[in-house]
Amino acid sequence: MSKRPEVEVPGVKSRPCYGSVQLQPRARLHLFIYQPDAQAQLQPLIESVDPSSCLQFEVAGTALAPALVDALQSAPLASAIYLAGDESFLWDMRNLVRGNGFTERQIAMLQPLNSARRVFCTHCYTLTEGVTHSPMVCSGCQRPLLVRDHFSRLHGAYVGVQINAEDPEDLPQEEPLS
Amino acid sequence: MSADKIEVRVAAIAQVAPLIREFRLEAVDGVLPAFAPGSHVVVEMPAQPRPHRNAYSLLSDPRDPSAYRIAVRKQEQSRGGSLFMHEQVSEGDLLKITPPANLFTPSWYAKRHLLIAGGVGITPFLSFLPELRRRGAEFELHYLYRGSQTGAYSDELAAELGSALQRYDSEQACRCDLGELLARQKPGTHVYICGPQSLIDGVCSTARELGWPEDAVHYEAFAAPAPGNPFRVELARSGRVVEVDSDTTLLEALESAEVDVPNLCRGGVCGQCATRVLEGSIEHRDTYLSADDKARQDCIMPCVSRAADDRLKLDL
Repeated sequence: MSKRPEVEVPGVKSRPCYGSVQLQPRARLHLFIYQPDAQAQLQPLIESVDPSSCLQFEVAGTALAPALVDALQSAPLASAIYLAGDESFLWDMRNLVRGNGFTERQIAMLQPLNSARRVFCTHCYTLTEGVTHSPMVCSGCQRPLLVRDHFSRLHGAYVGVQINAEDPEDLPQEEPLS
Repeated sequence: MSADKIEVRVAAIAQVAPLIREFRLEAVDGVLPAFAPGSHVVVEMPAQPRPHRNAYSLLSDPRDPSAYRIAVRKQEQSRGGSLFMHEQVSEGDLLKITPPANLFTPSWYAKRHLLIAGGVGITPFLSFLPELRRRGAEFELHYLYRGSQTGAYSDELAAELGSALQRYDSEQACRCDLGELLARQKPGTHVYICGPQSLIDGVCSTARELGWPEDAVHYEAFAAPAPGNPFRVELARSGRVVEVDSDTTLLEALESAEVDVPNLCRGGVCGQCATRVLEGSIEHRDTYLSADDKARQDCIMPCVSRAADDRLKLDL
């Protein structure tokens, strides 16, 4: 009964696809959580809500301000959460919010701000932020990694696997990630 | 049945409410598989002309591998299964069951758990409780019943749970105000309902009105499939024809004809028995297919649904 809100892309099942976000009409409280650059993306939604049932939080980094933690803990069951920012931010926030007892259906994620990815190295488990091209160099073990579309919701990251394990000379052309 | 069956011996039978009997089932060979809270098994009863197969929630502690316990309410409108369990089964008898399957597991993301049981719907929650307590989870159990019929385990639960249990015996004019109960729930609460469809519908519509997210509401109903008009089924692949009489489900008729259809819940919930329909119109009775799926009239849940007219052609 709890179907995931995002649509799946055919082919790579785990890669999230971000549809258009509607206001949740039955929600009593709307919480907008965004990175500094992403407020504009939420503005049309924010303007369509009665200001008395709307809270906004700008979050820089991954630490939650005490005011946001309080808001999450005291929000009524009939709350809706809207997230905007880059993709790794969206999933970090989603996981934090889930940890506060919110359900999948209560959390809406807008289109990520850009195509930068967090990459999880399958060899040393290091996360590398802001990856825009593949192959890339792992910030942990320095291996050249092919960035795959396979996505981990827990880490908010794509999988990176060593690209030239058999022939160290063989490095393909770098390509921008979409 | 699709999964490998387990042979069990009825080790003990106890009358736990005027209309409810508990059966303790022990493995004939080896140990019983572990299960998660909310699991059920399908019990196969050796009746004639065809076996009865009913799903029952496991009410024992999931960590207790020595036996499974189930509770069976005698249904006035029994299709045979509950009556068979009450009247034909004795201690020492052998029965077959499926391994446990689970369509009603607690959501461990929840901060609090609100459990609402109606009558024999208490059973899955009895397997929730040991696990909720081991995890130190916050919960409350609201138990609605009719004292002259159901209300099994009510006193034991009261002794064990104290203020975490609220009892509502409708014969003592004790009613549960669902609107008030749901409205005072704290953030992060998930609600679980097991009981008659009217109770499930009442909680779901109250939650919807309050603006609760749909995925914080979990329910399970194992109402027996209602009878319907007899109809004929043509099996496109084999060319065979199977007659379904009014008290038999399509799934049971197919099983009697030795047509293997994978199935799990036998209550129109899980979607395992989905079968393609090539011709004929369907009376959908399941809660698995969406309204759009149902409107397409090309897929049926044979465990509960039937032909709307006198025939169906299936892709079997």
